[in-house]
Amino acid sequence: MADDRAGRTTAPGPAHWVSGLVPDLRRDVLFPIGGSLVSFAVLVGGGLAYVALVGGSSDRLVTAMLIDAIAVIGLQIYIGNTGVLSFGHIGFGAIAGYAFAIAAISPERKARWIPDAPFGLTDVQVSPLVAVVIAVVVALAVAVIVGIGLARSGARSGAVAASVITLALLFVTHEVAANWTDLTGGDRAPLSFAIGETLESRAPILAVLLGSLVAARLFAQSRTGRLAKAAREDNLAARAMGVDPASQQMAALLLSVVVIAIAATLRVYEIGSVTPRVFFFEYTLLTLVMLIVGGRRSIAGALVGVVVITAGRELTRRLATDGYEVAGVGLDGTPADWVFREGLPTVFLGLAMLGFMILRPNGLVDDWELDEWLHRRLTAEARPPETQPAPDAGPSRLLEADAITVDFGGFRALSAAGLRADSGEIVGLIGPNGAGKTTLVNVITGIVFATEGRVSIGSTDLTRTPTHEIARAGLVRTFQNLRLFSSLTVRQNVEVAWFTAERYRPDGLRPTVDQLVAAAGLWEQRHRRAAELDYGNSRRLELARAAAAAPTFLLLDEPTSGMSDQESLAMIEQVRTTASSVGAGVVVIDHDLGFITGISDRIYVLDRGAVIAEGSPDRVQADPAVQAAYLGSAADSIETQQPRGVES
Amino acid sequence: MTELAQNIVDGLGRGSIYALLALGIAVIFGVMHLLNFAHGELITITGYVAYAAFLRGASWFVIAPLVLGVAVVASMGIEQVAFRWVRGAPDFTLVLTSFGVHFVVEAAFLMYVSASVKNFNRPGWIADTVDAGGLSFEIFDLVVIGVTLVTLVLTSLLLQRTMFGLALRASAEDFDAARLMGVRSDRVIRGAFALSGALAGIAAIFWLMRAGQTTPGAGITPMLKGVLAALVGGLGSLRGAVIGGFALGLAEVLLRARLPDAIAGLTDGVVFLLIALLFIFRPGGFVTVSHAERV
Repeated sequence: MADDRAGRTTAPGPAHWVSGLVPDLRRDVLFPIGGSLVSFAVLVGGGLAYVALVGGSSDRLVTAMLIDAIAVIGLQIYIGNTGVLSFGHIGFGAIAGYAFAIAAISPERKARWIPDAPFGLTDVQVSPLVAVVIAVVVALAVAVIVGIGLARSGARSGAVAASVITLALLFVTHEVAANWTDLTGGDRAPLSFAIGETLESRAPILAVLLGSLVAARLFAQSRTGRLAKAAREDNLAARAMGVDPASQQMAALLLSVVVIAIAATLRVYEIGSVTPRVFFFEYTLLTLVMLIVGGRRSIAGALVGVVVITAGRELTRRLATDGYEVAGVGLDGTPADWVFREGLPTVFLGLAMLGFMILRPNGLVDDWELDEWLHRRLTAEARPPETQPAPDAGPSRLLEADAITVDFGGFRALSAAGLRADSGEIVGLIGPNGAGKTTLVNVITGIVFATEGRVSIGSTDLTRTPTHEIARAGLVRTFQNLRLFSSLTVRQNVEVAWFTAERYRPDGLRPTVDQLVAAAGLWEQRHRRAAELDYGNSRRLELARAAAAAPTFLLLDEPTSGMSDQESLAMIEQVRTTASSVGAGVVVIDHDLGFITGISDRIYVLDRGAVIAEGSPDRVQADPAVQAAYLGSAADSIETQQPRGVES
Repeated sequence: MTELAQNIVDGLGRGSIYALLALGIAVIFGVMHLLNFAHGELITITGYVAYAAFLRGASWFVIAPLVLGVAVVASMGIEQVAFRWVRGAPDFTLVLTSFGVHFVVEAAFLMYVSASVKNFNRPGWIADTVDAGGLSFEIFDLVVIGVTLVTLVLTSLLLQRTMFGLALRASAEDFDAARLMGVRSDRVIRGAFALSGALAGIAAIFWLMRAGQTTPGAGITPMLKGVLAALVGGLGSLRGAVIGGFALGLAEVLLRARLPDAIAGLTDGVVFLLIALLFIFRPGGFVTVSHAERV
């Protein structure tokens, strides 16, 4: 720890970062592994202690809980990191479970249940381990197809389409399992292992549990995991920082399906048989409840959820078995009351959903992680890094948006408008509301495609290029209505864009994440969530985040909207220093004349979708067409409208 | 040709019930962004009400209005007990809350009534057919379609011509803006649940007439059909929900009649596959509600 402290008190240079895959060996590898070991020990130790204490049927209960834990970790990897509510992961489990059973069950038993299985599967038998591999591969193959479909549908947090597609997957697998009886035996003839052939030892379950805990935590801390979480928080902002959410989501999906598939094979192997209902709605809901009640955004939450729900169900089941009386209905544990034994845990499940959701809408532990907490406690407070003097900017490049025309239905938002900016200058874009300023920036950053016209940086044509590729090419924007990754910390917000710089702009000027955070005056707040920042700090963070992508050009959409005059002035300073620290040119939109004239080297004036004037601030202000457009009939009063607080 | 016409009437009859359920789900989704997986519980609850009334010798002329009234009251009651506490919560929370309601209702009937199937008489005319132009239609389908159309027209009038309808549509469009304009959110949400309950009540009457029985889990199937229809139609669009309902009904009947025998058992699977494909290529459903993101 001593060297780490030394490494932290000096400015963390590029050597501090291990590679593009994992940002920080200690924080993102060692601690997660250590934390996983601790959670594993607590979970398994607690379970075994319960077995030792109670004995009897509790043995199977704990085994089932550990398998559920693996499945819920698998769910968390996808749902937690991407924010997409998937109903279909247990469907992948069904595929893997059947693949495993069909491959591992002996031909003699299969001849009884599925004598006419296609592809000669009746006569196949492999060892359980090979069968697990087969099950994972089959589930992965389906996951790739589903993943492509999800990407096509624009899956993101809150996307209904993605939830429907996954729900459909669950039902399709169930229908196939129930009705393709030649292959699966259907509802009537459950595929089952011979007695004595099922899973006897708990060791494989423990090994898989530990492995999936570690895998899930490492994934969450990896570059891919962090980018996925950024896209979970704000899909568009992530794309504008150079993140391609589809590829991060695919990675999360495949890893989660591997974990779920193995959990499913263990479940089948432990139960000893598989029927369509083993992996259907009931298990989907149970695992989802566990995850969401515990806290879908963290592995700690997943485990807490598994324990709380398992314990609650067990407790109510025992209550119903051993006898009690509540609200006039009671029983003394006689066998006739099986309905109660079935019903009470269900009531608990329902009330747990209602109660926990009302009290803790983001789950019991929300996004708390054990290893992150330990890391914060065991790491010395770092001092803010020195800001390095800005090195010389590279060769200047030209941003050109040429003759851009945009039609929204019958409305022409832009007609042959355009601008040019050199990477050494600050260009202002001004115009009354509805002039088409934001539309122009949206076209330049690929959020809106132009009907006609061309966008390029230097010799690179960026017309009709997806947003994330434009960001990677060096054009990074901020948003008028603040789009931060609100549940990530200040530092993590900056880090997301920094990853883009590291991978796609290795030659650009790159201050470290900590330098960027410190330069924005956010050092003290670097471990706070972005959502907790006040408005001015949020604006500053957005600028720092954009700069972290080492852009050639920064496009700032109304960076001072909602700010006081004083804050606007400070913002002018921050924009200038930030731009020079990464050697970026700036295109800034605003309708505040004072701000724009105070900051810009050149100004474009947009009105009703067309550029009506261009030139130095003085020249533009004196232009009669600008005065007419900007101030309407009161054009002559522009002299009295002195730019606020700006000496001209 | 004759078979096709009969299939279409059959599908429309089935689709009518789905449309009523889907419309109720879409109304609630509009005002509180809740995908109500507890909507089917209204059918479970009214099923036991119908059973209790039947035991006391009531005829369908008594049972039908009773079912309707209980559905409205139950819908508003569920809102008061469960959903009002999670207004504005994340989608995950809302979905789980509605599943929670589903579990509690199901387990309550399981424990306090029985796990076994409770039967009651269907109306005597349920299987009667009427012949027209060489075709033979079930009277039941025609009644369902007719009543549904009348209900849809009345609902449409309610939404288009009354202050409540205006407030509800405004809230569905932009809930916060509607509140700022003086729409009373509490009243709109309660009204939405009442309307949703009434639509579910009418659907429940027909569902129960045809089923003639109920179980603690009876609500799951109609709930799923309604949710799917609402989703297919483009959640949040009331017109889309109705279209989605009819489309789902027609698709089920036509696929069942047309699919080759080898995969006829997989009709539901094929329907789900089609729904998945629809959402892959048209993520907004049939009627895309464009909420252009302002950037």
